[in-house]
Amino acid sequence: MATRVNPKLIDDLEQYGAEDVSKCYHCGNCSAACPFSQGSRIFPRKSMRHLQLGLEKRLEGDLEPWLCYYCGECSDECPREAEPGETMMSLRRWLTSRYDFTGISRLFYRSWKAELAAVLLVALLTAIGFLLLGFLGGDIRIYDGPGAFLPSHVVHWFDWAMAGVLVILLSINCVRMWWFTLGREGRESGTHVPLREYIARAYLLPFHFITQARYSRCERKRPWLVHLVLMLSYLTMLVLIMFFLESMQSGPEIDWRVHAFGYAAAVGLVATTAYAMWGRAKRAEAQYRHSHESDWIFLILLFVVAGTGVLQHILHRADLEVAANIAYVVHLMGVVPMLVLEVPFSKWAHLAYRPLAMYFAELQLRAVPSRAPAETARPAATS
Amino acid sequence: MDQPRIGVYVCACGTNIAKVVDCDAVVRAAEGLPGVAVATTYKYMCSTPGQEMIVADIEEKKLDRVVVASCSPRMHELTFRKAVKKASMNQYYLQMANIREHCSWVHGDGVEATQKAIGLVRAAVKRVAFHEPLESRMVAMCPNTLVLGGGIAGLTAALELADAGYQVYLVEKADHLGGNLARVDLTAPHLDSARDLLRERIHRVMGHPHVEPFLGAEVQSLEGYVGNFTATVAVPGGNGAGPAAAEGDDGPTDGGGATRSPRTLEVGSVIVATGYREFDASRITHFGYGKLPNVITSFEFERMVREGRIETVEGRQPQYVAILHCVGSRSQEFHAYCSRVCCMTALKYAHELKSAVPGCYVSDVYIDMHAFGKGCEDFYRRSSEVKTLFLMYGKNDYPVIRKAEPGDDCGMLIEVSEQLSGELIEIPADLVILMVGMEAREDSAEVARLVGISQDKDGWFIESHPKLDPVATTTEGVFIAGTCAAPKDIPDSVAQARAAAARILGKIARGSIEVDAVFAEIDEEACSGCRICNELCPYSAIEYKADEKRSRVISALCKACGACVAACPSGAIRARHFTDEQIFAEIVGVLA
Ligand SMILES: Cc1cc2nc3c(=O)[nH]c(=O)nc-3n(C[C@H](O)[C@H](O)[C@H](O)COP(=O)(O)OP(=O)(O)OC[C@H]3O[C@@H](n4cnc5c(N)ncnc54)[C@H](O)[C@@H]3O)c2cc1C
Ligand code: SF4
Ligand code: SF4
Ligand code: SF4
Ligand code: SF4
Repeated sequence: MATRVNPKLIDDLEQYGAEDVSKCYHCGNCSAACPFSQGSRIFPRKSMRHLQLGLEKRLEGDLEPWLCYYCGECSDECPREAEPGETMMSLRRWLTSRYDFTGISRLFYRSWKAELAAVLLVALLTAIGFLLLGFLGGDIRIYDGPGAFLPSHVVHWFDWAMAGVLVILLSINCVRMWWFTLGREGRESGTHVPLREYIARAYLLPFHFITQARYSRCERKRPWLVHLVLMLSYLTMLVLIMFFLESMQSGPEIDWRVHAFGYAAAVGLVATTAYAMWGRAKRAEAQYRHSHESDWIFLILLFVVAGTGVLQHILHRADLEVAANIAYVVHLMGVVPMLVLEVPFSKWAHLAYRPLAMYFAELQLRAVPSRAPAETARPAATS
Repeated sequence: MDQPRIGVYVCACGTNIAKVVDCDAVVRAAEGLPGVAVATTYKYMCSTPGQEMIVADIEEKKLDRVVVASCSPRMHELTFRKAVKKASMNQYYLQMANIREHCSWVHGDGVEATQKAIGLVRAAVKRVAFHEPLESRMVAMCPNTLVLGGGIAGLTAALELADAGYQVYLVEKADHLGGNLARVDLTAPHLDSARDLLRERIHRVMGHPHVEPFLGAEVQSLEGYVGNFTATVAVPGGNGAGPAAAEGDDGPTDGGGATRSPRTLEVGSVIVATGYREFDASRITHFGYGKLPNVITSFEFERMVREGRIETVEGRQPQYVAILHCVGSRSQEFHAYCSRVCCMTALKYAHELKSAVPGCYVSDVYIDMHAFGKGCEDFYRRSSEVKTLFLMYGKNDYPVIRKAEPGDDCGMLIEVSEQLSGELIEIPADLVILMVGMEAREDSAEVARLVGISQDKDGWFIESHPKLDPVATTTEGVFIAGTCAAPKDIPDSVAQARAAAARILGKIARGSIEVDAVFAEIDEEACSGCRICNELCPYSAIEYKADEKRSRVISALCKACGACVAACPSGAIRARHFTDEQIFAEIVGVLA
């Protein structure tokens, strides 16, 4: 069956940031330049082609965009200035919106105003909720311990509830991603991946998640380093908040067993987000040359969250409890929209999709025909 | 006869000859032949040092005959004749042995090829001893020119000559000037208007004191030779410069003047600029041309654009337009060649569509994108920027067009095995434009015969040399310009037209022209007046003098084909430079 071309898709992708796709004339220079383009996975030219033709199903089933780290080598080599690197970035945005079953992601990527409005709304609701909680049950002059304005056990409970919802949302999207890339693709090509392979390769998920090993293969090491620091800082912070929130918030004396990690992570977060914002403003590096509005919203949120986190800590140690509590509320006004909106519906979803893509890519290589020929299915009885 | 002093020059032609023929062995063999005073080989005999070597040897070594063993005499005989002339030797004392086209290019075995080359050189050496000094004649050059075809090429050539002050007769078959370009709207790659390009030229041609245009006219016969042709032109109503002399809106229509009275014109040169016709798209069934009403040809689209109404037969603006390249070109079944202009014309359509029908999607389905001309690659790039979707199909793997289903948002679907993605895909289309190629006109064989030029396997007129002499033909005084020689765009057509005019102006400036001294002669004493030769001569060069009961060759018309020489039962006819002794000596040489 012939696949129907959809010339309109390229217009749609423009809103996700892909503006120069039509300029590509398929010389293949980009695929030759890309350090990750190997074997049966030749990109980004192939993705450019699928996009030009508007082959939506193919694109949905492509893992290639997640295998790209936007080193920009391809865009540098392109004789037509078709910006293949930016196309891969835009495809990641588009795929995020495709995996997301709610349609919220699509709305956010196509309209930064909607995303901003949602962020502000959630921030406002957060503020109202926590202020109510504070004024009804606590005292704004107390930061921690009994009678605290925002008691850590309540915040902790809230964190876990939110995490649960997020995990459910993200998991549904991940299953959809599996369906597009392995399930449906496999059914159409008459192949499947044996369960034992899923199990045997499962280690790839935490491996890629924590080490970002693939990223390190890029020629320029700095982007990988920045990304690794940002990611590890975030992860550290997440662990601290999810498991050690009480000791984080207690004080004023410093609990070095927890706070040492907290300081390191805070420095990492502030430094890397500041660096990224500076890079984007200056268009300093390939991956910063084009910025979608969603990139800015994400970065600013993260910076605000990290900054107010540090601020409340300092204020608390300085015995300025009221100010510390206000900073805490502002901090939460950043944290909640960041987690509720960015993780399942926007840029942060890549923290799940990228490692998954590498895992799935490995599995795709191990797919076998679904209906095995009779003679191989039954091993010889005598030997 | 005294022993002649012959110089033998064996050309290596770079490696063209030397890679098969052992040139040194040929030189050694030549050295042993009677009469050979010098024998040598050189990398390129036709180069300036090569020619100078011959000149120096003639002067210093007192040579009186020269044999050049190299390429075909059609290629360089004139070159070497000029060289020996420089050394004050009669140019007919030169003989060439063709050891390239007749030897190295057609044989693989070096030993045998070398033997053959030696044989050919031996024949030339034997023959050249019998050569006679001949003097070529000068005849007057008539400064008038006949231009066949009033397309952009014919118009340009006519104006070039007329502006120089010489009379031009412009014969156009259709009832209007402009040719195929009159059917085109904007032109690629600069998007300037074809109408503007033509209007000024047609206007000037019609009012020029030195141009006499004949519309709806046809050349019936052309006789004579360079500098002295006589043409008969059938003109409707007897007068060409009728009022219907404007740029037409439709294809070339044959002029339909009821009464045709011939005019006789004296001209010295002829420019053939009869152009092309478009490929008939209905010959390809997969495209449904003629059956699917919204499948149209490029010319039909040009008309839509000119009328400012780009729409389907149902009267709707098309949302999806597909342009299909190479229709009739670059295929095994139809024409193997590329028509050269349709790729850029297709890009032009993409631009025109995007500006005339905002929001429409244009798919451009090509085999390869041929964007070789000046400004063309840039044009191609700009076409991508306006979001034209380019798709590639395989040669001889035609896309198939069919009607869409009722639920589709398009009128037709084109199935293509798309090469850049490797997918079998379907393209939506409401309007399909077939980029029909160019082909030789239906009457091109007739024109070729009329003016005495040849055609290649596709019907295009053949130039004297594809690289070095692209507008001359093998018939002296007859030139070709524009698309009658091969598909080309406007700039190339115009360049050729001006080149042809320049060649003619050069001849006119010299005032008289040299006619080859090689022709047949009848010994009137021996002629019995049987008149066998009279009918035989393909160039009507033999007249019969009834009072003397003898035949006589009009030397200026004779092409030295030799037909009469062989046929004369009295042995009365002798061809200069092809005498019996010379030919027998050559045969002896080959067979020795
Ligand atoms: C759809 C289309 C679009 C094009 N667009 C472009 C473009 O954008 N840019 C570009 O550079 N080129 C374009 N071209 C090419 C352009 O049309 C040609 O390069 C140009 O017209 C060639 O001119 P010509 O004088 O050689 O031939 P023609 O235009 O064919 O003129 C030949 C003339 O000779 C006459 N004739 C024929 N036989 C005889 C005879 N026996 N006696 C007397 N008269 C005779 C014909 O009636 C005609 O008037 C296009 C071609 C096509 C098919
Ligand atoms: S280098 Fe540019 S033009 Fe070439 S295939 Fe890649 S994106 Fe296309
Ligand atoms: S940006 Fe780098 S990793 Fe991504 S496709 Fe281009 S070359 Fe490959
Ligand atoms: S110019 Fe282009 S469309 Fe025309 S025959 Fe050549 S390749 Fe085909
Ligand atoms: S040699 Fe040929 S052209 Fe010349 S008169 Fe004889 S038949 Fe005619």
